[in-house]
Amino acid sequence: MVGQDLLPKICSEPNVERVFVLTRRNGVLSSHRKIEVVHGDVTRPDLGLQYHLKQSVAQATTTIIHGAAETSFSSDLSAASAVNVAGTENMMRFAAGCPRLKAFCHLSTVYVSGKRTGTIREEDLEHNFGFVNAYEQSKYEAEQLVASQAQRLPATVVRLSTILGRSLDGAVTKSGAIHYALRFFFHSLAPMVPGMKESPVDLIASDYAAESISIAAFDQFTPGSTWHICGSSDAFSLEQFLEETLQLFYQNRPAWRKRAIEKPAIVNLETFYLFVRSVEELGESVLKNSVAVLKSFAPQLAYPKLISDASTQHALQRSGLTRPEIRDYYPKVIRFLLENNWEATPQEQVRL
Amino acid sequence: MRTYHHLPAGVNQHLARSETQPLILQWNVAVNQGRSSIRLRICGKIEFSTASHLMNLGISAIEYALPSKSVSVRELAEAGLLVSRAEQLQSFGFDRCYISDESADELALRAAAALLDNCGVRPESVDLLLYAGAIAPSHHIAGGQFVSNFNYPATKLQYELSLTHASVAGISQAGCMGLTYAAKFASDFLRSNGEAKCVLCVSADVLPKGVQREILYNVISDGACALMVTRNSVQNRIVAHRSVTKGYYWDCISRKNEILAAYFPTAKNLVQDLLRGAGCAPEDLRMVLPHNVSYRSWEILLDLIGVKKEQLFAANISQKGHVIAADNWINLKDAMTANLLIPGDKLLAFNFGLGANWAATLIEH
Repeated sequence: MVGQDLLPKICSEPNVERVFVLTRRNGVLSSHRKIEVVHGDVTRPDLGLQYHLKQSVAQATTTIIHGAAETSFSSDLSAASAVNVAGTENMMRFAAGCPRLKAFCHLSTVYVSGKRTGTIREEDLEHNFGFVNAYEQSKYEAEQLVASQAQRLPATVVRLSTILGRSLDGAVTKSGAIHYALRFFFHSLAPMVPGMKESPVDLIASDYAAESISIAAFDQFTPGSTWHICGSSDAFSLEQFLEETLQLFYQNRPAWRKRAIEKPAIVNLETFYLFVRSVEELGESVLKNSVAVLKSFAPQLAYPKLISDASTQHALQRSGLTRPEIRDYYPKVIRFLLENNWEATPQEQVRL
Repeated sequence: MRTYHHLPAGVNQHLARSETQPLILQWNVAVNQGRSSIRLRICGKIEFSTASHLMNLGISAIEYALPSKSVSVRELAEAGLLVSRAEQLQSFGFDRCYISDESADELALRAAAALLDNCGVRPESVDLLLYAGAIAPSHHIAGGQFVSNFNYPATKLQYELSLTHASVAGISQAGCMGLTYAAKFASDFLRSNGEAKCVLCVSADVLPKGVQREILYNVISDGACALMVTRNSVQNRIVAHRSVTKGYYWDCISRKNEILAAYFPTAKNLVQDLLRGAGCAPEDLRMVLPHNVSYRSWEILLDLIGVKKEQLFAANISQKGHVIAADNWINLKDAMTANLLIPGDKLLAFNFGLGANWAATLIEH
C-alpha cells in the first residue's frame, strides 16, 4: 500500500545507487533509472531467483525493506503465514547471504497487538490475548521470527497503522478494507460496526508512512528498534469517525443527503456477530460481501487501544518529519474516493 | 383528588393520575411597548411531551380477527409458499401462520364488530373510521368490472356497522405501518377536533391465494385488527410517537439489501429519540410490543436500544407470524388478556413497514 509513495522516496536518497524491486507481478515497468525490477516470490526458496541473479542482487544489497505480505484480512492462517511468516523467513535467509547488508527493515502492523487493549508501546510484542484475524497473527509470528534473529541480523521493525491515502491530495493507490467499508457506508450497506463510541480509529497517510519507513531504514536506522507509524493520539474516536464521514458525504455529494442513510450503529461484538451470522445464513450476496469485509477487520474496534508512538515521534522529529493531521487529510481522501467512484489509482500497468 | 382551581380540568386529572405533587402556574400579564404578553412560569414537574396528557388520548379497546386455518412453516415449504428453507425460518423464530379463506373486508368486519360489541361505544358516536391495508387488494372489493375498484371496504364497513356519523378514509401505501399510522392520525384528529370523541381504526390484509408467504425472511399471516382511539381512554394512553419515512428504499425488490441494512440503525435512532424525548429510560419500559418479524432481528434490535430480552412480548412471533399491520396491537391485546400489564406500565410499540417506514409509539397502560 505504500509502495507507490515509498519507491520515489528511496530513489531520492543520495546514498542509494540502485533499487531492486522484487515482485511477483508481470508487466511491471520501471519508473526511475535506479530501479531494477526483479521477478521473484518470497514464498519460494531463494525468493524464486535464479542462482546468478540471486548472487548479484545479494552482493549489491546494503538495505532490505521487506514489505511483501499477504494483507487480506480474510485470508486463513495457512495462506497468510505462507507469505507473511515463511516469506519473512526466506527473506531473512537471503539477507544473511548479503555480505554488505547494513539494514533489514521489516514492515509490520501495529495490530500485532491483536486483542490487547489499552496503550501499546513500541517495545511491546509478546502477548497472549489472541488476534482478530489471521493477518494479525501471521505478522505477529513474523515479528517473533525477526526478533529471534536479532543477534545475527541488523533488523528494525516498522509497524504501520491502517493506511488511508495521501495527505497531499487524498489519493488512494490501493483499496483496503477501510475503503471498502466506507464505500458500503455510502451505499447503505454498513448497518453496524462493533466497538465503543470512544474506540480510536487509528489511520495514517501513505506519504507519511513512506517518509517514515525511509527514515527508519536509512537516516536513523537502529538495529533492534521498533517504530510505530500511526495516528496515535491524533485519531478519531469511532463515533467521531462515523459522524465526520457522514458530514463529508453530505459536503461532497449534496444529493446524497436525500437518501437519509444512517450512520452505522455501534454495537458490541456479540450483537455484531449475531448480525453477521444472520446475514451469512440469508445468503444475500451484496450484504454478505459487506459483512465479510466488516467482520474481517472491524472487530479490532471492539478492543480499543491507543497506539503510542512516543519514541517514534521523537526520532521522526529529529529528521524534520511531522505527522499530518487526520482532520486535514481525511476530507481529501473522501473527496478522492467519491470523485474516482471508489476506485484507487488505476494499477493495471504499475510503474515502479 | 386535590383540585387546583387555577388549572384546567385536564391538568388536574393528570395530576391525580400521575400523583404529581403541587404545581404552581403563575400568570403574569405585562404590557410591553403597547402589546400585551403573558409570561408563564412553571414550578414543579410536568411533562408536556404531548397534549394527550391533558385529554387521556389513548387506545381504549382492541379486538382482532384471525382466520381459522393455521399452517406450519414446514407445510408452507411443502406447498412451495416459502423462499427460504423451513429450517431457516424456524431458526428465525417462526413456526406457524394463518391463511384466510375470508376476504380482508370480512375479517375487518369481524374485528370491528367485536370491538363495538365489547367497548361500550355506540356506533353512531364514532367520529371517524380509518381503514388501513398494506396491499392494493385490501382497498377494494373485487368485482368483474373496472369500476369495482371504487367499491371500498371502508365505506362498506361504515354501513355494516351503522357508523352513521363517521367520516371515512383509508390509509394505504404505508405497508405494515398502516394501523400504527391510523392510531397516530386518530389521536391527531381528536386533538385538533374538540367535538370529536372516538376514532375507529381498522386494518385488514389477506394475501392473494397461492402467493409466497415469506417477505424479507418473515412469515406472513392474514388477519385484521380494530382499535378504538378515544379522547378519554382509561388505558393505553398514547404518550409519544415518532416515525420516519425513507423514500430511498421505496423499491423493496432492488433495494432489498439496503433495506435490511438500514433497518437496524434507523430503528435504533428512532426509538432512542422517542424515549429520550419522553424522558423514558429503556429500563423503565414494562414491555416492548413487537411487530412479529424474526425473533433473531429482535435480539439484535433489543441490544441496540438497550432493552432486555425479557422485556419483549415475543410469544406471538412463532405462532401467529407477522400479521402485517396488526402485530403490535394484537400483542397489546394478548398481553392485556394475559394480565401481564398493570396501569401505568410503559409500553413501546415498534414497527416497520415497506415503503419504507419506521415508527415507534410510547404507550402508558
